[in-house]
Amino acid sequence: MAEEKFPINIWINEERLAKIQAAGLADMCKEVLAGLKVIAVPATAEQRDKILKIFPTAKFDAATTRSIENLPRQIKDQIFDLVIENKSVDVVDEFLKSVEK
Amino acid sequence: MEMIGHGGKEIVERVMSKDAALKRVAEMQAAKVKTLDVRLQMATEIIDIAYGFFSPLEGFMTKADVEAVCNNMTLADGKTVWSIPIVFDISSEELEKSGIKQYDEVLLTYTGNPFAIFDITDIFTLDVKEVAMKVYGTTEDKHPGVKRTYQYKDKFLGGKITLLNPPKINEPFTKYWLTPKQMREKFKEKGWEMIINHQTRNVPHTGHEWLMKGAYLGAYGSMMVDKPRGGILVNAMIGEKRPGDYIDEAIILCQDAQGKYGYFREDIFLTTCTLWDMRYAGPKEAIFHACLRTNLGCTHHMFGRDHAGVGTYYDPYDAHRIFSKLPEGSLRIKPIFNLDWWFCPVCDEVTYSGLCGHKDKKASFSGTLIRSIIQDGVKPPRRIFRPEVFDMIMECAEKYGFGNAFVTEDYLKRRQPVFTIEPLQ
Repeated sequence: MAEEKFPINIWINEERLAKIQAAGLADMCKEVLAGLKVIAVPATAEQRDKILKIFPTAKFDAATTRSIENLPRQIKDQIFDLVIENKSVDVVDEFLKSVEK
Repeated sequence: MEMIGHGGKEIVERVMSKDAALKRVAEMQAAKVKTLDVRLQMATEIIDIAYGFFSPLEGFMTKADVEAVCNNMTLADGKTVWSIPIVFDISSEELEKSGIKQYDEVLLTYTGNPFAIFDITDIFTLDVKEVAMKVYGTTEDKHPGVKRTYQYKDKFLGGKITLLNPPKINEPFTKYWLTPKQMREKFKEKGWEMIINHQTRNVPHTGHEWLMKGAYLGAYGSMMVDKPRGGILVNAMIGEKRPGDYIDEAIILCQDAQGKYGYFREDIFLTTCTLWDMRYAGPKEAIFHACLRTNLGCTHHMFGRDHAGVGTYYDPYDAHRIFSKLPEGSLRIKPIFNLDWWFCPVCDEVTYSGLCGHKDKKASFSGTLIRSIIQDGVKPPRRIFRPEVFDMIMECAEKYGFGNAFVTEDYLKRRQPVFTIEPLQ
């Protein structure tokens, strides 16, 4: 069975949308919840636990969405910038390394 | 008007009139009775006890009550269902320094002002690990209720409480804080025969809105529709906050906005608050909420998925199943159980999971998810989150949250308290 992944939902505000369009990565967004744009950055269970430990306000919504929520906005901006830089959503390892430094 | 509360007992306010209180305080001070200044946690529960929110409790629990709560989910009488210990803690040092003994009458103060009389009938210790296991089903201090239990000081005082000095409820909560008696008077005024309670500690999204609407339609049943014979009571829990929670002011004003902006007719909708520090005890807290809302005069109580839970400590429907373990007739309120409400892109609406056949297309959303969207600076679509509620959040952030709609350390330090106890004059 494939390992369960737990998304960090990066909701696309105007500033992020401009960056995505400039990078030609508009296809990376998906539309959910009646038109909201989001990029879901997957994390493993181990990565999720590390994130929750490093950022005490972050919350794993175990009951409903099984996603990692409530990361501070500037932290999400950092993750988002990594996504743009790498043109990939698989950036959690790199993000954690930069934070742990 | 009928003032019968949980356990079939009449709601009795243990509040002294101002003249009697002034006289009593003067006598107590002249007699140099022992005094204790209480912290916010205790002050909150003293208010709840005195006005009958916790009826039939008349004071803080004795050891016999706590043991019965832990072992049998009842009070010491063995009959009255009760699921959460209501205790007054004190350290051995404080106890020794104050000289408090069993059967003493103690003058409690809050922020230095006379507050209540505490008739001590029991002084005891507890095995907090055992209490945690029996109430919360875990001994992990990551669980906020367990953490609170472990933070209790090493001794406990049990006995009756009489309030001397009513709280001044500060803005914007003033009009939303109603005592159980006032609440029942309000229901009578509105002509409601059916009162459905919605428990919340959140700003509402449309999932909550539909949860309430579904419960209303379901419970209304075959009552005549010539006039509104029932209503929804949103009763927000206002208490201890954790960083990242919505600020209290946003919770109460955004809940109220649902009526103000017509998502519910104002004559079937009422927003109020109760002072309570959530314990996140899942199923046990669900039972406690049912007892509390019985005291408010509600006839029905909604329980959604993962009611009052935290993390993965409870199964999402534990808070439903626990009701089937109670003896018949032990509660005077009818639980309404709900599954999820989700957004279905095929139905193109927020819909009930018990009705929608597009499970593989569903988009679940929760308060946590919505909080995350707002934190990212995105305004959710109106089918998910009402624009007036969003605007109210932003207004509250500016007016009460020092620029933030979510609890920060700064907010905790600088916010105006929900209530104050002023000098007794």
